[in-house]
Amino acid sequence: MITLDPAMLNRVIKPARYTGNEWNSIKKDHDTVSVTVALSLPDVYEVGMSNLGLKILYQILNNREDTAAERVYAPWVDMEAEMRERNIPLYTLESLKPVREFDIVGFSLQYEMSYSNVLNMLDLAGIPLFTAERDEHMPIIIGGGPCTFNAEPVADFFDCLVLGEGEEVMEDIIAAVSSWKKAGKINGRSGILKSLAQIGGVYVPSLYDVTYHENGMVAEVLPNCPEVPLVVTKRVVKDLNKVEYATRPIVPFLDIVHDRIMLELFRGCTRGCRFCQAGVLYRPVRERRPELLLKMAKEMVDSTGYNEISLTSLSSADYSCLPDLVDSLMGELKEQGVSVSLPSLRIDSFSIDLAQKVQQVRKSGLTFAPEAGSQRMRDVINKGVTQKNLEDAVSAAFQAGWSTVKLYFMMGLPTETDEDVLGIADLAYKVLDLYKEIKGRRGAKVTVSVSCFVPKPHTPFQWFGQDLANEFERKQQLLKARLRDRSITFNWHDARTSFLEGAFARGDRRLGQVLLKAWQNGARFDGWSEYFKYDVWMDAFKTCEIDPYFYATRHRDFDEVMPWDHLSSGASKQFLQREYEQAVTEELTCDCRREHCSACGVCPGLGVEVLDWGSRA
Amino acid sequence: MAKLRLEITKGEEIRYISHLDYASAMERAIIRAKLPVAYSEGFNPHMKISFASALAVGVTSQAEYIDIECKEEIDVNQAVEHLKASLPMGIRIKGAAYMQGNVPALMAIVNLATYEITVPLLAEDIGIIEDSIRWFNEAEAVLYTRESPKGKKEIEIKQYMAKPITLTALDKAVRLILEIQITPTGSIKPGEVLGALVAMFDLPVDIDNLLIHRTGLYISNANRQVSPVEL
Repeated sequence: MITLDPAMLNRVIKPARYTGNEWNSIKKDHDTVSVTVALSLPDVYEVGMSNLGLKILYQILNNREDTAAERVYAPWVDMEAEMRERNIPLYTLESLKPVREFDIVGFSLQYEMSYSNVLNMLDLAGIPLFTAERDEHMPIIIGGGPCTFNAEPVADFFDCLVLGEGEEVMEDIIAAVSSWKKAGKINGRSGILKSLAQIGGVYVPSLYDVTYHENGMVAEVLPNCPEVPLVVTKRVVKDLNKVEYATRPIVPFLDIVHDRIMLELFRGCTRGCRFCQAGVLYRPVRERRPELLLKMAKEMVDSTGYNEISLTSLSSADYSCLPDLVDSLMGELKEQGVSVSLPSLRIDSFSIDLAQKVQQVRKSGLTFAPEAGSQRMRDVINKGVTQKNLEDAVSAAFQAGWSTVKLYFMMGLPTETDEDVLGIADLAYKVLDLYKEIKGRRGAKVTVSVSCFVPKPHTPFQWFGQDLANEFERKQQLLKARLRDRSITFNWHDARTSFLEGAFARGDRRLGQVLLKAWQNGARFDGWSEYFKYDVWMDAFKTCEIDPYFYATRHRDFDEVMPWDHLSSGASKQFLQREYEQAVTEELTCDCRREHCSACGVCPGLGVEVLDWGSRA
Repeated sequence: MAKLRLEITKGEEIRYISHLDYASAMERAIIRAKLPVAYSEGFNPHMKISFASALAVGVTSQAEYIDIECKEEIDVNQAVEHLKASLPMGIRIKGAAYMQGNVPALMAIVNLATYEITVPLLAEDIGIIEDSIRWFNEAEAVLYTRESPKGKKEIEIKQYMAKPITLTALDKAVRLILEIQITPTGSIKPGEVLGALVAMFDLPVDIDNLLIHRTGLYISNANRQVSPVEL
């Protein structure tokens, strides 16, 4: 157990990030369990604690008598400096035990820009960075989360990566590790890695070799041992009503990013936006039953004392039983002062009715995501929203008393012209005009947030080159010049961060050395603008003689072998290509759960059905 | 309406949480315990609870007080039992009583706080320590510059010292006992008193490693000194 020096905690900001003891945290005696797991998200406490996947795994693993699951997040830079100065290794919040003493360390990889924090945390823990350098006394380093669908840039640092939903696969992993330990760690590290590789959804990168063509493209990725599959396919839970949920989440002392109950209505999204990676990775749609959700919500209020429930899903307004669910939640929980919030709204008047219902007390701003400014562009991305939908929704919101509207967009989408970019400004002005028409006076506040589009693996846009950083900057200036109204606030993303994200999103294994170099030269917390060191990254690319443009901005041909072709989301490459071609010709693809199947291949391939309770009623 | 007053602790386990976070930890415990707490009216209803005096990050206490306004009066022992089961580590209940009639707010009546500061010694000779404490106690006035995000402010410390500081020698550390007045126009933090002792009276201690513990909060006048639950 680590002793935490008061002098250290007195000096750092928010010391409660590092001291644990939160309500619902679980402390087990390590001598009474057979497997210990340190669950981690490689970012600061407030971000890590807000991740729903880790909350679920924490409960599932701790429900097992043979397992102790604890938490560890990235110490903020001030704490890291204190820890390094005092030789305090990275430790978990429950037992204050060094992370390197655990059997398994699981990292949730949500975002490419957190990779440098993974290396930093391994180093702080005293764990060798490369899988090849670890012996059987070191923890097994596992990655999970969306990035694992192309974690090739971090493949050398992970012992295994889990594709898809963790509820069931983690149980399989624990069972395998437990029996390996009980049998005296037969065949050492390679013994356990080989047996893990035989669990569905588990990818052990060291058991695959990558070869390259002379032009730098991937030639093939092949197993180097007979026991492992050619293609690793993601895990999905067939029926979400039958798996454990995080009904007793830890209640932090600090104000975290999502400091409320998260009620996950369903997984998946069938809207089919062509830029969206989550829409592909989390397919198919599987809804929870409304009566189960109500029961879960009540349990969570009782177990946490939170007074706010957020209905979290990729597109909560698409939940087939939403109006009834909201009514019953509010009816049953209003007495206890619990409010319900809908984080994402669909752009139609139905959503406004709902928003009005849940926000009876306080009218905060409304957020919509048209994603693109022109109709042409919205058709390219298959957003399935018209100018009229948007105008109707905003009008309804203004009539209902709202006056603050936030609009989310992307720039740099495939086939984008300056006209499409300027469409964003037109839309913002249209919203201001609508307010004036309805209210007879000015007074609306519009926030326009524009991020830089990053093409992601496993999406129809995976073949497109990303815009160059200076092209993003030119478009940002173009828009900025047009948005000169005091009622409009314009926020945009840093183009250079998005460029790096783009390089790593579609990177291959060779980027591991760039990551190592950049981390050695001080890169960490790259997702935090105040710590992002662009020059350090560019120097690392140069030193390693690797070209970031090759990964970020290059257009790919359909026959190119992608670095992630051996990792499957269930959606076929033919489907993605078809969607790409429809994008270019501005053709729409319908929502497969409301109309007809668009043959992505997920349901038959994974043997899982769409579960939509509304359609069965 | 019934006002339930509790005497609670802020223990070692939650030493480093802020006063605001301590307050919301209590709020959530009250919800979990399903106490019939009252809420304010209006657009953004909040729980009707109030505390006596804020405690800084890093400070523990054996004497915190909270008033909880309840919609109905339930049995005290039952309320305490329910709450005990809902409190995070580090918060214990030491006393509880309903306040009768229209009692003034805790914040308005508490006017004295007592503290223990434990801090490692940087000198072998206890005599040096005794000297600087004596000089401080004998000083007419001690001006201390408080630095906050709002700027610098000069404060005279001695006006808030209810009694001379007393001293106990521990193994390689020293324990100081402070009695500090809380007045309508302000007060001084125990850490600031120690800061002044180190900066102006050459107290040879490792101030980075100080540990502060609040031992009492009182309503004090010439005749008597009582804790808020003894009213």
